[in-house]
Amino acid sequence: MKVNAYTTLDLVDCRVRTADDEAAGLGVANATSARENPEHVRLRFEADGQPEGVAAHVDELELDPEQARALAADLESHAAKVEAARSGEHGD
Amino acid sequence: MATDVEEWKAEVYGTDIREHVERFAEEGWASIPDEERDAWFERFKWYGLYHQRAGQESYFMMRIGTPGGVLEPGQLRVVGEVAKEYATGPVSNPEFGDAWADFTTRQSIQLHWIKVEDIVDVWDELESAGLSTVQACGDSWRNIVSCPVAGKDANEHVDALATVHEFQREFKENDRYRNMPRKWKVAVTGCREGCGQGDINDLAFEPASKDGVDGYNVRVGGGLARNEPRLARDIDVFVPHERAAAVADGMSALFEEYGNREDRYSARIKFLVDEWGAEKVRRVLEEEFVDFELQSAGEGFRESYSYNAGRDGDGHDDHVGVHSQADGTNYVGLNVLVGRMGVDDVLELADLADEYGSGEVRLTQRQNVVVTDVPDEDLDDLLAADLLDDYEPDPSPFMRGSIACTGTEFCSLSIVETKNRMVRYARHLRDTVSLPDEVEDFHVHLSGCTASCAQPQIADVSLRGMKTRKDGEPVEAFDLGLGGGLGENPRFADWVGERIPADEVPGAIANLVETYEREREGAETFRDFVERHDESDLEDLVEPEETSYEDPMMHNTKRTWYPYAEDDDMAASPAPTDGDGVPLDAATGDDSAPADD
Ligand code: HEM
Ligand code: SF4
Repeated sequence: MKVNAYTTLDLVDCRVRTADDEAAGLGVANATSARENPEHVRLRFEADGQPEGVAAHVDELELDPEQARALAADLESHAAKVEAARSGEHGD
Repeated sequence: MATDVEEWKAEVYGTDIREHVERFAEEGWASIPDEERDAWFERFKWYGLYHQRAGQESYFMMRIGTPGGVLEPGQLRVVGEVAKEYATGPVSNPEFGDAWADFTTRQSIQLHWIKVEDIVDVWDELESAGLSTVQACGDSWRNIVSCPVAGKDANEHVDALATVHEFQREFKENDRYRNMPRKWKVAVTGCREGCGQGDINDLAFEPASKDGVDGYNVRVGGGLARNEPRLARDIDVFVPHERAAAVADGMSALFEEYGNREDRYSARIKFLVDEWGAEKVRRVLEEEFVDFELQSAGEGFRESYSYNAGRDGDGHDDHVGVHSQADGTNYVGLNVLVGRMGVDDVLELADLADEYGSGEVRLTQRQNVVVTDVPDEDLDDLLAADLLDDYEPDPSPFMRGSIACTGTEFCSLSIVETKNRMVRYARHLRDTVSLPDEVEDFHVHLSGCTASCAQPQIADVSLRGMKTRKDGEPVEAFDLGLGGGLGENPRFADWVGERIPADEVPGAIANLVETYEREREGAETFRDFVERHDESDLEDLVEPEETSYEDPMMHNTKRTWYPYAEDDDMAASPAPTDGDGVPLDAATGDDSAPADD
């Protein structure tokens, strides 16, 4: 994947699992749409390391706007939950 | 449907842009309407102007194209004077001071911190010396690159400079190709060492002979960008020297006709060559775009290509040092670390070229300069000049081999600091790492993102900006590649080291060099050594490590307004500013003026 200052996440913790093995490490994630006449939202992900037997590759979701919003809404709500839990841990 | 960029180009493009720039210069930054900025900045590129990144609004990078890297007598002085007067930003750079010139990997010159209010004055001064910024950026014939010593070199096969000048006249000083689907990068090589670097250009002319006639073999579709590098493909065409322009014209027209304007992303000839194959490119060129029968390829010189090749042999890897010209005088190549030279040094170099040479200075694709036409009797005096203590003709391999792009200092795409970091790396490596005695070349190319402006994939050690986490904190980092180089059999690096924290890169290089020195066979070069190993062995050779090297720029420099400002926070930026550098306070509207005005 190309990586530059417009890449959504140039650094994200990730895990790739197969039935027999697992690779934990860092990866890159990018949400984009085509510059002209976009038909869908593209969410791409690439992990640096792979478990045994898995070749380096990029995964890609093609989301229609509704799906993209559903995903964004879930991400928002879980982000809020994690934040709340964190402030509960630290704040007293 | 056409893209935005295509629509903007259809409205105003080419030389028609100038009158608008003149108006903006007259009326000031605030006269460029907010909602039209994207369109104008896209068009400005045709005139060699790039708006700088977020936090630096109202400041421009200006690119001056010097065909074949040639600066005629007197031109370098004007570049220095213009830079000194106009290329000063709100804050200085800790390594390079208040103003400087950048010599680029495509034999051009870049100035930063140019105000829109000054553009016309800058153009006037440059044009009075015969210099131009036209088509230096944007979708057009880019600066034509060639052997930097074309027309001078003692072993040249054909005079590439004559061809460069012809192309310049036919295709750049002419509206015919002012609007291509994408940028169009052309290289002309005339020597036996391959220093035009045709393999990484859209269109390459390579020295050759056929049936006793001298001319060029043609290759098409090379380039490094988009994480999809390609080597130019041989289309089996020989063209006599004086017919080169007809083939260049035909290939440009072919690209104009068949290049994909619908999708800027794929609109490079390299993808068309992927799709069609070399044979179809040749056939369509012959059938539709030239009016003579194409000859098959002639006898070339690729087996002796040494430039940027990393091989053992007689030819040179760069132009640094003293070399003989065909006319009995000499050219002296000086190493300019990361291609950046402070303005006072630029002016002093112009003096030295006047005093000891013909006044001409040339730029190489390794970001260095060459003083040409130095008679034997003046060599010692030139070599004794103080300036050559900093811009050495015989530098450490690490100083000599370093190339770096613009990076987070000015470039909106970058994710890491580049030039100043490469300066620190090179000095540290020079002072702490030793190479085998006879090794003169060790190339480290550092780019701030995958666009690959510093040509990272064709170095001994390739570095490409990344991010990683260290002690829990996100830090600037590099992917590390090995095995790249040009020459007879060019190859791109394999990216064998991932996300190495920036402060551990010098340690990784030191460890690589140590292993190389210990395990090399005979006089094996680093590239040969690397080629003997497979990818997984190479991964094991990369051992990042902290050393005495310290890096002050580990934090997220892309989020600063300027990495070297005392308060580098985006909110502390003075930009946008008026023509005198006074911040324009957005809150009080466009016509705000200093209190005493
Ligand atoms: C605002 C964005 C950009 C800036 C400021 C920029 C700057 C530069 C600079 C400074 C150089 C010369 C390198 C040097 O010697 O210092 C260069 C060359 C180059 N640029 Fe860019 N660049 C930009 C965007 C891009 C993009 C988007 C691509 C890819 C599509 C790209 C591809 C290249 C390549 C491949 C070279 C060098 C190799 C060659 O000349 O073929 N650049 N650019
Ligand atoms: S390689 Fe990336 S960071 Fe460097 S100048 Fe080019 S676009 Fe900018």
